[in-house]
Amino acid sequence: MRPILLSGHERALTQVKYNSDGDIIFSVSKDHVVCAWFSHNGERLGTYHGHQGALWTVDVDPTSTLLATGGADNTMRLWEVKTGKLLKTWDFATSIKRVEFSPDGRQLLGVTEKRSGHLSTIVVYEINPDPETEQTNEQSLRIVCDESKATVAGFSYLAKWIIAGHEDGTISQFDAKTGELLYSTQAHEPDMQITDLQWAPDRTYFITASKDKTAKILATESLEVLKTFTADTPLNSAAITPVKDYVILGGGQAAMDVTTTSARQGKFEARFYHKVFMEEIGRVRGHFGPLNYVAVHPQGAGYCSGGEDGYVRVHHFDKPYFDFMYEVEREQANL
Amino acid sequence: MSRVAGRTDWAEEEDEDSLQLPQQQIIKNKDGTETIITYSVREDGKRVKTTRRIKKTTVKQVVNPRVAERKHWAKFGAEKGKPTGPQTDTTSVAENIVFRPVANWKASIEDKNDEAKKKLEVKNAKIKCRICSGDHWTTKCPFKDTMAPEGEPAPVDVRDDVPEAGALGGGGSSYVPPHLRRGGAGAGEKMGGKFERDDLATLRVTNVSEFAEEQDLREMFSKFGHVTRVFLAKDRETGKAKGFAFVSYADRSDAARACEKMDGYGFGHLILRVEFAKKST
Repeated sequence: MRPILLSGHERALTQVKYNSDGDIIFSVSKDHVVCAWFSHNGERLGTYHGHQGALWTVDVDPTSTLLATGGADNTMRLWEVKTGKLLKTWDFATSIKRVEFSPDGRQLLGVTEKRSGHLSTIVVYEINPDPETEQTNEQSLRIVCDESKATVAGFSYLAKWIIAGHEDGTISQFDAKTGELLYSTQAHEPDMQITDLQWAPDRTYFITASKDKTAKILATESLEVLKTFTADTPLNSAAITPVKDYVILGGGQAAMDVTTTSARQGKFEARFYHKVFMEEIGRVRGHFGPLNYVAVHPQGAGYCSGGEDGYVRVHHFDKPYFDFMYEVEREQANL
Repeated sequence: MSRVAGRTDWAEEEDEDSLQLPQQQIIKNKDGTETIITYSVREDGKRVKTTRRIKKTTVKQVVNPRVAERKHWAKFGAEKGKPTGPQTDTTSVAENIVFRPVANWKASIEDKNDEAKKKLEVKNAKIKCRICSGDHWTTKCPFKDTMAPEGEPAPVDVRDDVPEAGALGGGGSSYVPPHLRRGGAGAGEKMGGKFERDDLATLRVTNVSEFAEEQDLREMFSKFGHVTRVFLAKDRETGKAKGFAFVSYADRSDAARACEKMDGYGFGHLILRVEFAKKST
């Protein structure tokens, strides 16, 4: 496995995302620029300029025509993927920590930070998939998180619910039509922030990563904890791989403590666990800072990770990755 | 501002350094490979020249029409106008990583590595025996019984004593502290125990050449009798002799003879001075 190193960013990466066909990777970092890359050879397609602050989040719609970003300049922006043209800017009172399109691309969700008297909110906009038309200013839904601020959120299958992860380690389920809080569960350790929430391909379950050094798979409908993956370092990101039943966890020593530890102790590795058996099966080294985000190719051909060190590393899985099976799996396959 | 004044401060000096680095070179080789030479400045200020030889292979892949269409999109933003194909300033290929998932991952790999490392460390560490100066632990010295400094009870005696006085819970009696064993006759062990030296048969040799080795001294002094110990003071950092040494004999009369003969002996380019060692107290 020969990783491709993307060094287009000058500061720490905050999120990386594949588009639905897996041929383009979008990366955002604290250096205000969004980059688009071809995943197969690491060629940079282009950059999106306009943001005035660090970027926290990026998402692309299912047809790869629209790109949404959010950042510390208190704006959420919509871009045309093909040309890099800025289509729309939504202004907020605080920074945007997470954006995500609904599975059909008709809705866009944003999570706003809690700061200076403003509570954390989850806002939803209706999106017109045609890049030529004017986008609406009107929020179709606004959920105020008054108990604990939301850090991550996403749409369930059919955009039925909005699932949000909170700063206090709880996961909550909102009705995506009315915004009503249906259910909330303390999935992770209290007061340990949920750092990431990524979906399984069919969105019937999702994985959350937390500062409490665990990642958990929860069922979307019942919010029941199905699997727990325990690591030895705070986690920043977790992803579920298609094709093979693995999960990839990324994390490492908190960024502020990094200079006091060596790369070996910092645990800056992508950890692979078996999704069903919850056992660690391997690690991939490379970054010399914590991994801030790991994203998996939608067809399971590879994964990429964005690190605090400013690099995106794109990996294409090779044969041993696909060949590996537990004894019981092999028996099952031979039946 | 300072540049106008003709001064260079340290911040600008660094800038100029990086400007002086040669341009990246790309050489196309005959066999279809490319050699890319890049220059960079390492953290410690040293310049590094990196030479990479890259073989480009074309991999044909059937993709869906959407993906194929996107491949022909014009570049935009910072990449506007650049030719197709990855640019060397933003995209590079990292070292090959072997990733092979295994069950029980942790137990199998990581531990082995650590163990191997520890073994290697032990191997590389400088071990020196205090009895014969060999490269083994003092306790494992083959001469530890025969070459114990004189004055100490021979190991045979110790063996006799043990059942008599009773060590830990021996005999019917309760615990006997070490200094009361051997019938309470022992005056108590001195600090340093077995390795306390009897200075009666020890010579102090001064004015030794700094290139001297313990082996040289041992050879010279063993002409006069059985040498039990040679100690040559060495500088910890340079490893050179500090100019003095101690030589112990099994017998005091041998020591006296050696003292007489070797005092004033020319060794290296210096004249040795040999006298009986005095107790430091």
